[in-house]
Amino acid sequence: MEKTYDLVLKIQRYDPDTDKSWIQEYKVTAGRILRFVDLFRKINDEQDPTLAWNSSCEHGQCGSCSLDINGKPLLVCELLVENAVDYFKTTIFYVKPLKIAPVIRDLIIDFEKAYEKVHKVKPYIIKLKPLSEEEKEYTIFPDEQKKYIEATRCINCFCCASACMAGHNHFIGPNAAMASIIRMMDSREQAKEERLKLLYSQEGIYRCHTSKACSFVCPKKIDIAHYIALAKEGAF
Amino acid sequence: MEKTLKITSTIQCDVLIIGAGGAGLRCAAKICNLRPGTSIIAVTKVAHPQKSHTGSAQGGLSAVDPGDPVDRLKYHMFDTWKGSDCTADQNVIKKVTEASWDETLWLIKKGMHFTRNEEGKLSKRTFGGHTLFFGEISAFRAIFEADRTGKGILDSLWTEALRNKIQFFNQSIATELFIKNDRCTGALLFRQKEGEFVKVIAKATVIATGGSGQVFKITTNCRHNTGDGLAVALRAGLPVMDPEAVQFHPTGIVGPGILASEALRGEGGILKNNGLEPFMINYAPGMRDLAPRDIVSRAIEMEIREKRGISHPDHNIEHVWIDLRHLSDYVHDVKLKEISAFFKSFVNIDAKKELCPVRPSNHYQMGGIPTTEFGEVQKSEDKIISGLFAIGECASASLHGFNRLATNSILELITMGRFVGEKVVGFLDDGSADDLPIDAGEKTLSQFNNYLNAKGKDNFGQIRNIMRNTMTEKAGVFRTEDGLNKAMETLAELKNRSYNTALSGKSLRMNQELVQCWELDNLLSVASVIVKGAQERRESRGAHYREDYQERQDKFNYHTLAYITESGEITLGKRAINMCIHEAKGENYEKFGNILRKY
Repeated sequence: MEKTYDLVLKIQRYDPDTDKSWIQEYKVTAGRILRFVDLFRKINDEQDPTLAWNSSCEHGQCGSCSLDINGKPLLVCELLVENAVDYFKTTIFYVKPLKIAPVIRDLIIDFEKAYEKVHKVKPYIIKLKPLSEEEKEYTIFPDEQKKYIEATRCINCFCCASACMAGHNHFIGPNAAMASIIRMMDSREQAKEERLKLLYSQEGIYRCHTSKACSFVCPKKIDIAHYIALAKEGAF
Repeated sequence: MEKTLKITSTIQCDVLIIGAGGAGLRCAAKICNLRPGTSIIAVTKVAHPQKSHTGSAQGGLSAVDPGDPVDRLKYHMFDTWKGSDCTADQNVIKKVTEASWDETLWLIKKGMHFTRNEEGKLSKRTFGGHTLFFGEISAFRAIFEADRTGKGILDSLWTEALRNKIQFFNQSIATELFIKNDRCTGALLFRQKEGEFVKVIAKATVIATGGSGQVFKITTNCRHNTGDGLAVALRAGLPVMDPEAVQFHPTGIVGPGILASEALRGEGGILKNNGLEPFMINYAPGMRDLAPRDIVSRAIEMEIREKRGISHPDHNIEHVWIDLRHLSDYVHDVKLKEISAFFKSFVNIDAKKELCPVRPSNHYQMGGIPTTEFGEVQKSEDKIISGLFAIGECASASLHGFNRLATNSILELITMGRFVGEKVVGFLDDGSADDLPIDAGEKTLSQFNNYLNAKGKDNFGQIRNIMRNTMTEKAGVFRTEDGLNKAMETLAELKNRSYNTALSGKSLRMNQELVQCWELDNLLSVASVIVKGAQERRESRGAHYREDYQERQDKFNYHTLAYITESGEITLGKRAINMCIHEAKGENYEKFGNILRKY
C-alpha cells in the first residue's frame, strides 16, 4: 500500500463581488508526490469548483503559481506533498497569495501591478551598441556572459519581492533591480547612465538591507543578493 | 434569477493580436518596425505575456549559418520535408528556412542571450533528424540559450513589446471572430479580471493562441493550451487542417508530463517494464532504446497495453521505467544534471538509486488553422478570409506536415510571426474598413448565458478528465477504427453532459470555473475533429499511426480540412500539398519527392 497523507489546507479566499475575505479549510488525502497544484485541482474536481488559483506551465518555468505557504513564498507547481510535510514539519498548511499586488479573487493576484516595477527598469536594451563595419554579428565571450547569465534565469515569480525585508512600497524590488543589472553587465547596452540613475535613485538598490531573503527563497536558486551587492559597489 | 449579459464597451484598433506568445509578439514587433504608430492590442489568457508557453521550450532553434563550411539550406529543407513524412508544404519550408539566420541576428539585437563558444560566436548543437548531405551525418544546426531557448525568445519579445508600448489585455480571452462576407473585422473579448465583454473592431486580426495539448491526459503543454483559437475558428465555420497530426514524446515524466529528453537514452538509460525486462530489444533489435521517437512511444504503449506497465498510485497513470542507476556519477551530475533535477523536483526520485517513471506525453499539434505561406487564414483550399491571419502552433501553413522536427517549432514562431507582420502592414495600407456583422457578439452572449443558466448536477473537471483519458487511450499513440468510433461516441456524450452542467458560482469576475467551462467546450470541439480526421485517414503517416493501416499510402497525399457545421456535424475537405521545390526540377529535386521516412 502506497503512503498517503491526510492534509489540511487553510486557504485564504477573497470574493471581489462582496469584498469579503475568509479562511476556508479543505481536508485532502493525497499521495506523496502530488504537487500543491494537483491538490488545488483535486479540490476543484471533488469539493469546490469555485476556488480560484493561478498557474500556467506547471514546470517551474513561468512563475505564475507563486504563493505563500506557511509563511514561505514558493512555486506550488514544484511543491510535493511529502517535501512540504518534511520541510514544514506539519500536515496543516496556510495558503495565501503573495502580498506584492492586490488580490483579484482567492489566490489570484493582479500580476500586472506587480510587473509595473519590472517594466519601469526597461528590461530590454535601451540603446544598442552599433556593430563596427567589419563585424557581421555581436561577439560576446563566455567570460562576459558568466557575470550575468545566472540572473537571466529569473522568471519574475516575485517570491524574492515578497520575501524582501526592505518592503515594496519604496523599493523597486530585487527582481526588477536584477533585470536592470543584467543590462548594465551586457556589452550591447549603451544606456548605462540612464540605468544607473534609476538603480541609485530613492527607490533603487540602496533600499536593500542585504538580508539576502531574496536569494534564500528564489525557486530558481539565483543569488539575487549577490547581484545587488555588485551593483552597490558599481562592479558591473 | 437569470443573468442578462451585455457587451460593456467597444474599442477600435488597427491590429488585434489574440495570443501573446512568441508568434504573436514577433508579429507585433514587425508591425511596429515597419509602421510606427500602428495601434495594436495584444490579448493573452495568462497573467502577463512573460507567462506564455513559448517560455517552456528548452532545446534550440535551427538556423543554417551562411558562414558554416558544410551546412546548407537545402539540407535543412530536406530534413524538414522528410521529417514531415512528405506532408509539409515546400513553399513554406523554403520561406522559413531561408529566413532563419536573419531572425537569429534580429533576436541578438533584441538582447537575447544565446550560448556562446570560446570565440564568442554562437554555439551550436545537434538534434534528431537534422542532417548534412541529405541524411548522411548529424548537423550542428541548432543555436540555443542553455536549456531555456524559448524563454530567451519570449523575454526578448515581450520586452520589445513593452518598448513599443503595445497595449496588453492580460487574463482575457477572445470568444468570437467577427466575420461578414469573408472579411474579419475584429473579435469579442471576455476580460476575466473585470468580468466584462468587450467588442474590438480591428482592421486586421491575428490568431496566435498556441496548442491544444490539454485534450490529452499527459501532456507537456501548459494548463492554458486548450485549443481556444482552433475552437473559435471552428465556431466561425472555418476549418482546422490536419487535426489528426499530433506528436507524442516517448518519455514524459509521470505526473507533470515534463519532458525527459532523448539524452537519457543517448547516455545509456534503458527502458524497462514491470518485470524489469529491457523491452526495446523486442521492438527494435538494432537500435533498441535509441530508435526514433514514434517507435519508442509505440513500444512503451504496447508494454502498458499488454499489462507490463506499472500503475502510479498518486497520479493514477500507467507507465514504464527508465533505468539510469548504472550510469556513472559524472553522467548524472554533469551530463544529465537538468533532467536528473526534474526527477528530483517533480517525483522526488534519486535517479542514481531509483527507477524513474516515464510514459509517452502529448507534445505538439502539427495541424491548425490553415493559412497561406503569408499566414492568411483560409476558408477553403482557394479562398481566404480577408483581414484574418494565424501563426504559431494554432496555425498550419504547413511547415511540419505530419511530424515536426525538434527545434523547428520556435523557428516557425519567429519567422512566420515576421511574415505575418509584413503581410498585415501591407493589408493595413490598402485595406478599407468594413462593417461588423449585425449580430456581432450575440453568439458569445448566448453561449455564456447557457453556461450560467444550466441546471444539471455534474462537474466540469470530471468531464474533462474522462475526455483526456479517452483521447489518450483511443486517439493517442495507437489508433484503430474501433477505438476511434468509441472515442467519438464518448465525446458526444460528454458534450451533452457538459452542456447541461451548472456552474457552482455565477459571478463573471475572475470566475475560473466559467472559463474552464468555455475551455472544455473548446477541448471537446478540438478532440472531435482530431478523432474525425484520424478515423478518415486510414493509413499511417508521421505521428498519426493506425494499427489497422500501418503504411503510408499515396491516395492520402493531401491535408485534411475539418469543419464543424452549425448543427454540430463534422465534415471533411482537402488541401493539396505544395511540392514547389520538387516541381521546379532544380538541383537535388528528387530528394523532395514522396520519399520514404526511414532513418
